[in-house]
Amino acid sequence: MADNIIEVRDLVKIYEPDVKAVNRISFHLKRGEVFGFLGPNGAGKSTTIKVLTTLLRKTSGNVKVDGIDIDEDPASIRKIIGYASQEVGIDDDLTARENLRLQCMLHHFHKAEADKRIVELLKTVDLEEAADRRAATYSGGMRKRLDLAMALIPRPKILFLDEPTTGLDPQNRQAIWEYIRTLNERGTTIFLTTQYMEEADRIADRLCIIDHGKIVAQGTPASLKAEIGADVVQLSIRENGGVDTRALAKAALSKVPGIQEIQDIEGGLAVYSQNAPALVPQLVLALNDAKLEISQLTLSHPSLDDVFVKYTGRKMRVEEVKPISRSPFSGRRRPM
Amino acid sequence: MATRDFFVEVAGIFGRWIRKTLRRPMFLFFSLIQPIVWFVLFTQAFSSIGSIPQFALLTGTDSYLTFFSGAVIIQTVIASAMQSGMGFVQDLESGFLDKLKVAPIRRSSILLGKLLSDGFRIFLQTIIILLLAVALGVGVATGFGGVFFLFAIAVAFGIAWSGISTFIALVTRNSEATLMISILTTFPLLFLSTAVMPKALLPDWVQTVSIYNPISYIADALHKLIITGWDWSVLGAAFLVTLVVGAITLSATTAMFRRAVAG
Repeated sequence: MADNIIEVRDLVKIYEPDVKAVNRISFHLKRGEVFGFLGPNGAGKSTTIKVLTTLLRKTSGNVKVDGIDIDEDPASIRKIIGYASQEVGIDDDLTARENLRLQCMLHHFHKAEADKRIVELLKTVDLEEAADRRAATYSGGMRKRLDLAMALIPRPKILFLDEPTTGLDPQNRQAIWEYIRTLNERGTTIFLTTQYMEEADRIADRLCIIDHGKIVAQGTPASLKAEIGADVVQLSIRENGGVDTRALAKAALSKVPGIQEIQDIEGGLAVYSQNAPALVPQLVLALNDAKLEISQLTLSHPSLDDVFVKYTGRKMRVEEVKPISRSPFSGRRRPM
Repeated sequence: MATRDFFVEVAGIFGRWIRKTLRRPMFLFFSLIQPIVWFVLFTQAFSSIGSIPQFALLTGTDSYLTFFSGAVIIQTVIASAMQSGMGFVQDLESGFLDKLKVAPIRRSSILLGKLLSDGFRIFLQTIIILLLAVALGVGVATGFGGVFFLFAIAVAFGIAWSGISTFIALVTRNSEATLMISILTTFPLLFLSTAVMPKALLPDWVQTVSIYNPISYIADALHKLIITGWDWSVLGAAFLVTLVVGAITLSATTAMFRRAVAG
């Protein structure tokens, strides 16, 4: 048995006619680890997860899941994976128990086996009381928990979670992370995407940051933060008519000693330095001399947020996912 | 145990749709309220049609109600079949289809379970209409054997017809379009057939259209079974038409479905 439960080499996915959603990415998952897949919206996270779960056919490259080639035998892969999508694939007209029962039937459980598994999972995700109510009456957190329980029915070797906590309150988020941690301790490999950097930092053994369909960084949270190796000062300069305040600020700051790097980021500049607290007064003075007004300044020790900013130039913004409208007249096209 | 697996997964999907159907108020509306409205409105407004001398001669009954009960069955079957596609649109939108696609099941089970549930829904609705008709004094000339054939035709034609709606749903992936096209096709086809009026009493051009309208053949068979008695050539024609319609709509649907689940 190979150590790597998932191996992805040079994966490319092009949507017709020529949208390159994923552009030659390579990574692997070690058996038993929690792997975080991070990136801004539209970076290619969901596309990658859909290829790995056999929902989308790749354009080219090589993907092996538990030693099985994804094109040769997707049916065998489906037996060993669980998948909880961003959209939450539960049936609102059915109760939690019925949703789980259906999932058991789709995995060909015998009745007694199914009964046992359903009780077990309702308990795990704390839905025993609501088990016989229609899922339409559930809160967002309950829906996510039910979705997770459905993905767990076959006792998957690998669990794919696409934004498992997006849109949840802190309490529900905490609960989901705890289930994930417990599962992982019992040996399930976890592949997850999330927008919460702090949580990725805490839960993931290794991370991969994807942007514009390419992998821009990968490693353990600690090694990625160490790569920055410095404190980060993020600055926003007030607009001043047509003047390019950003360029002026960069010029002014470049004269300050002790700066490792200045980077353009969304909404301002990021300044990297070994000892930022000592540097801040000098930064302020330099900008003041250049007649530039600071609208915002933050100082931080390297966090995954900073890693993310460094590699994508963008701040990670958590976008809430709206619940899907269930009106029969909604007529919304779902982007694939 | 591949056979058992196949049976279990189809049963799971079938059961899901039946539960969904029975829990929706829409179902009760389409299967109970709407047929009652049809029965009351049409048989009251058009009751004098029965006293047209040719009517009894052409149909074998002077009760328009008796004649019309065949039309109500067809109307309900078509309306019900036309809703079938909506379920797929919702599954595409909600992400539930992905859940089914990740499961280790045959892709065909997803479609088969759905179509079987459509057939079962139509079966339930036909029972309700027959009970309504009997309560209103309609008798079935061919007795229990005839009722069996009536169910067989309604369910088989219903499944064949639901292929149209499922096809539209999978092509447009849009519930509004699916509903609109469904309504637009149902009513004209019903009134341009022999379902609501014996053929000889229809205007010439409608007579011509009705020959090419598959619904006419289903209507003729239902009318015979209810009003006059066994007529194997008419029954045979109805099953043949159902077979042809089914072959076309279901193969088109299967092709579209393959594309929808292929990724």
